[in-house]
Amino acid sequence: MGNEAIARGAWEAGVRVVTGYPGTPSSEVIMTFHEEGRGLPIYVEWAVNERVAFEIAYGAAIGGVRALVTMKAPGLNVASDPVLSAAYSGVEGGLVILVADDPGPHTTQTEQDSRWYAKLSKLPMFTASTPQEAKDTVKRLFRVSEELKLPVIFRTTTRLNHAVGDVVLGEVEERDARPSFKKDPPRFVRAGMKWNLERHAWLNGVLRRVEEVASSLGFNKVEGSGEYCVVTEGVAYNYVYEALRGLGEARVKVLRVDQLYPVPSKFLAENLSSCRRVIVVEELDPYLEAEVKKLAYEERLGAEVMGKEEGLLPLEGELNPSLVKGALYRWLGVPQGQESTPAADVRLPERPPPLCPGCPHAFSYIALKLGIARAGYKLSEVPVFGDIGCYALSVNRPIEAIWTEHSMGASISMAMGLKVAGYDKPVVATIGDSTFFHAGIPSLIEAVHKRVDMLVLILDNRVVAMTGHQSTPSWEVTESGRQARGIDIVEVVKSIGVDEVAVVDPYDFNKMVETVASMIKRPGVKVLVAQHPCRLMEVRQLKTVKKYRVIEDKCTGCRACVNVTGCPALYIEDGKAKIVEDDCTGCGLCARFCPYKAIVEVGGA
Amino acid sequence: MFNILISSVGGQGGLTLSRIMAVAAVRQGLSARTGETLGMAQRFGSVLSFVRVGEDVQSPIFGPGEADYIIGLELFETVRATRYLRDTGVVFAADEYKPPVSASLSPKPAWGRENVLRSLRETLGEKLLVVPARDLALRAGSARAINVVMLGVFNAHARLFADDVVYEAIKSVLPGRAGEVSVKAYELGKAFYAERAKSA
Ligand code: SF4
Ligand code: SF4
Repeated sequence: MGNEAIARGAWEAGVRVVTGYPGTPSSEVIMTFHEEGRGLPIYVEWAVNERVAFEIAYGAAIGGVRALVTMKAPGLNVASDPVLSAAYSGVEGGLVILVADDPGPHTTQTEQDSRWYAKLSKLPMFTASTPQEAKDTVKRLFRVSEELKLPVIFRTTTRLNHAVGDVVLGEVEERDARPSFKKDPPRFVRAGMKWNLERHAWLNGVLRRVEEVASSLGFNKVEGSGEYCVVTEGVAYNYVYEALRGLGEARVKVLRVDQLYPVPSKFLAENLSSCRRVIVVEELDPYLEAEVKKLAYEERLGAEVMGKEEGLLPLEGELNPSLVKGALYRWLGVPQGQESTPAADVRLPERPPPLCPGCPHAFSYIALKLGIARAGYKLSEVPVFGDIGCYALSVNRPIEAIWTEHSMGASISMAMGLKVAGYDKPVVATIGDSTFFHAGIPSLIEAVHKRVDMLVLILDNRVVAMTGHQSTPSWEVTESGRQARGIDIVEVVKSIGVDEVAVVDPYDFNKMVETVASMIKRPGVKVLVAQHPCRLMEVRQLKTVKKYRVIEDKCTGCRACVNVTGCPALYIEDGKAKIVEDDCTGCGLCARFCPYKAIVEVGGA
Repeated sequence: MFNILISSVGGQGGLTLSRIMAVAAVRQGLSARTGETLGMAQRFGSVLSFVRVGEDVQSPIFGPGEADYIIGLELFETVRATRYLRDTGVVFAADEYKPPVSASLSPKPAWGRENVLRSLRETLGEKLLVVPARDLALRAGSARAINVVMLGVFNAHARLFADDVVYEAIKSVLPGRAGEVSVKAYELGKAFYAERAKSA
């Protein structure tokens, strides 16, 4: 997998510090170290958020050791503050920032194109096209970073991170790993405005050397020849390669840009000088396209440059081989040929990812809704703010709990905003444990400090579940085997001085409903911590797992069980409820809502 | 080059199957790429895994109408995937039935196991092979081995990998008992296909 290859590349480069925050599609880099790298002399740990992760890696790199920090695209937004300052101070040891964008988007709130961050932060940015190159690229980027004394961004997209392919392994570099740090305030203290001006000039000077360093390491390549020229990058290169191979045409030249910022203008100008028509094929925004158009103007290239802005390729969504092939054929003016006809498209009910069978979040959200009702409010008048995590899946039918989901930690502050604006009914913020540690704490401090009336429901399942069960600060031993100090979320909440704290196991369903109903009516910031481990994790540790079944004679097919819980282990067929035994985790939630007592424990009465 | 699409419900082992196929391809001296989306679709959502095996494979995914083979681990998801099939393609469908929640919420359930099967048969005709994968997997020792049963059926038809290469690939992806069960499941899948071929 691309991410495993990246981990391997960093290891081969002698990396000493690896940090990050889980985020699809970037998480498997650190997970690979955790699975395969036990015993290696490398610090590999998840950090509380991307900003902290970056600062840890940066601290290591100014001490002269090689460091890697990983995150998904929105993570770079979180880390951006220190990243921008780091461009002025630079590094001694190589520092690679891996940022995984998600065209599609498959699992991300926006189709953010992080290439713009390279321009904004003035940090060199590179990409790769295949798992093999991902490994080799990360290795070379440590050298680029040390050569330029700048952090370097390695930008990937989902189809590279999650592509599996054959990779040839290399040697592991032996490096002296002892850090040292020389005091140099003009370089590392960003309080001096004159120093900042000087460092900015230094940075601009370094950026002029990027192409030279990159080409000496073999980045950017050109294939074929002709007056028709394709400029492409990253994963899109694969689609271009296959489309042209299928065409068997020799009149097309392909320029693959690995150096995304600053764009390799010498390489482009030289190779585009003989081109009459140019098409730019890239994921997400027409970033390279704008750069190539600018270059064509500056260098008086005289070629016609086309791409997304001319509508040859879509501005939204992910590219795929068929889209790229279609665009290239149209641009070349060759007939598409008869596509093979796909079998008939049948309309099927959608299958959006639901909360898992037995998910404690399902208990919490259903109890929240019942509690709001029991307190005498209409569900339509109590906004439930959501946050980033599995629990956002509660937006789907039938639970339909959350009203918003924006960015890490936003639930609490957004709920507060509505309240201070004068909203006269209760507001509820719901946030997961890891998200609370990541960005919820400052928001809670704000709400407490300003004495806002609100209910905060912390859904504490003890793990970063959505991205594949990574550790949270509450763990006593991390994935690498490191002894850690578990941070008690309830103590943190108390120490902030909230008006009320309650801890309830959502599996204790009635208590959960009552607690919501009583807390929501009282003034002040009330925090209800719903504590129950992620059911998938819990079931793995249980020796025997209970199962539930439907007594067919008693079931009337009223669908109450499905309509309330939405449990994916339940379905209705031939007018009766059925339970997929393999998938049932024995939580008993559905049984509570069957008016006919038709759902019982297997082996029970 | 072969384009293979594995369609499944998250948690059924579609990703594991694509991993086994990629490892087998590499051990066979072929190049391979797989592409899929993890994360949210991990559990109980629709998951498509693209597997490409051949001499000079570059892209990890392919487009609609380009699959030579579809391996469906669940009936609904198999129907959903048919738009990826080439007109010369073949579909292997496990007879697993896990309707999405949205189907059960609708007051008039238009779908049932029989309807889904009928729809598959109508659109695919001869190109479809339905496999009693659950029974075979249970016979091998675990319902979790449905994915590898399907690999057995697929490979008996496509003859893409040598058997000992598949055994190695299975054991490297699934160490321990799961691997042993899977090897048995693979054999049962193969045997099922051979029986079918004989009676056809
Ligand atoms: S007991 Fe009911 S709600 Fe719980 S996992 Fe089993 S089928 Fe789903
Ligand atoms: S709630 Fe009870 S009676 Fe109604 S469909 Fe479900 S199992 Fe059957």
